[in-house]
Amino acid sequence: MIRPDPDDPDHPATPGVRPFLQSGSPAVRPAPRPAGPPPDEPASGLRPFVLTSGRVAGPDPNIGLETQVTAAPGAAPTRLPPEKRAIVTLCSEPLSVAEISARLRLHLGVTRILVGDLRAAGHLDVHVLDSDFPDPDTIRRVIRGLRALS
Amino acid sequence: MDFEPFPDRIVGTARVPQERRPGAPPVPVKIIVAGGFGVGKTTTVGAISEISPLTTEAEMTMESVGVDDPGPASAKTTTTIAMDFGCVTIDQTLKLYLFGTPGQARFAFMWDDLIRGALGALVVVDTNRIDDCYPAVDYFERAGLPFVVGINTFHGQLSYRLDEVRWALAVRDAVPVISFDARFRGSVRDALLVVLDQALDRAIKLKST
Repeated sequence: MIRPDPDDPDHPATPGVRPFLQSGSPAVRPAPRPAGPPPDEPASGLRPFVLTSGRVAGPDPNIGLETQVTAAPGAAPTRLPPEKRAIVTLCSEPLSVAEISARLRLHLGVTRILVGDLRAAGHLDVHVLDSDFPDPDTIRRVIRGLRALS
Repeated sequence: MDFEPFPDRIVGTARVPQERRPGAPPVPVKIIVAGGFGVGKTTTVGAISEISPLTTEAEMTMESVGVDDPGPASAKTTTTIAMDFGCVTIDQTLKLYLFGTPGQARFAFMWDDLIRGALGALVVVDTNRIDDCYPAVDYFERAGLPFVVGINTFHGQLSYRLDEVRWALAVRDAVPVISFDARFRGSVRDALLVVLDQALDRAIKLKST
């Protein structure tokens, strides 16, 4: 069997699902923890902070579930680890953080941290809204749009 | 000679190629669909979403409320929950997301992350298990998020009158209590429009202050 080169641009990383992600993973704790495996967690399974390169700090609160993410123009994600590369590949068109999480079956907390990292590294554009409170005109447009649904 | 497409000359079709502008994704808005286990949240989301509901896992911080003395060591625990969501494209620049979240625990969820920026919430209620929705109602009341109580009429039957449900929930008069059928798109749309009316009221008030 010929294994595809993971850096081959013709065969971009597929969003593979690892068994340990399907079986549910422990939550990312916002607080720093002592070295060594915590005794209160099961020994099996790769913990999320492995995927996040040891990042256990809370994700950027500005990155919400519905926040739109796009690949940065000209970003070449070839040297990224598979999870991050899969995110950049998916975001060739605008996608919400929740959709990234669902499609890659990555825990939402992990997704938010990885998206924040990729933004910091210049691979992704994260389109954070100016205000937490939608203005009346936006809501009126949603109302009109919903009313038009049959 | 190679064929050259002239996308700007395609007429009479909706398939006009859209210019890819990665810098301009739609503005996302969201409505929370909350309620106990099995009350029809996923059905509600699926009835109106243009995509099959997707599921994501998220951790939530829970805090026990009101029962014990919340001392300095009071337990804040995290739990992993599954969240269903769908979306409705309003137009090219605006997209509505619906997030269905469980609320059956005897705890008030710390939903701060989730409701940030939300327009409002639809609390789905099964009148046979009305207390399942108490945590969601409590939370949205305290958070000041506009919400609507939507009684899911399983099989078109409403076993209690709306004012009886309102009495049981003890919600303010300003909170609409409606009935809807989670299986039908039109019914879900109408329920969401009630939520949006509440959201609009709040947005206008916020803007005028």
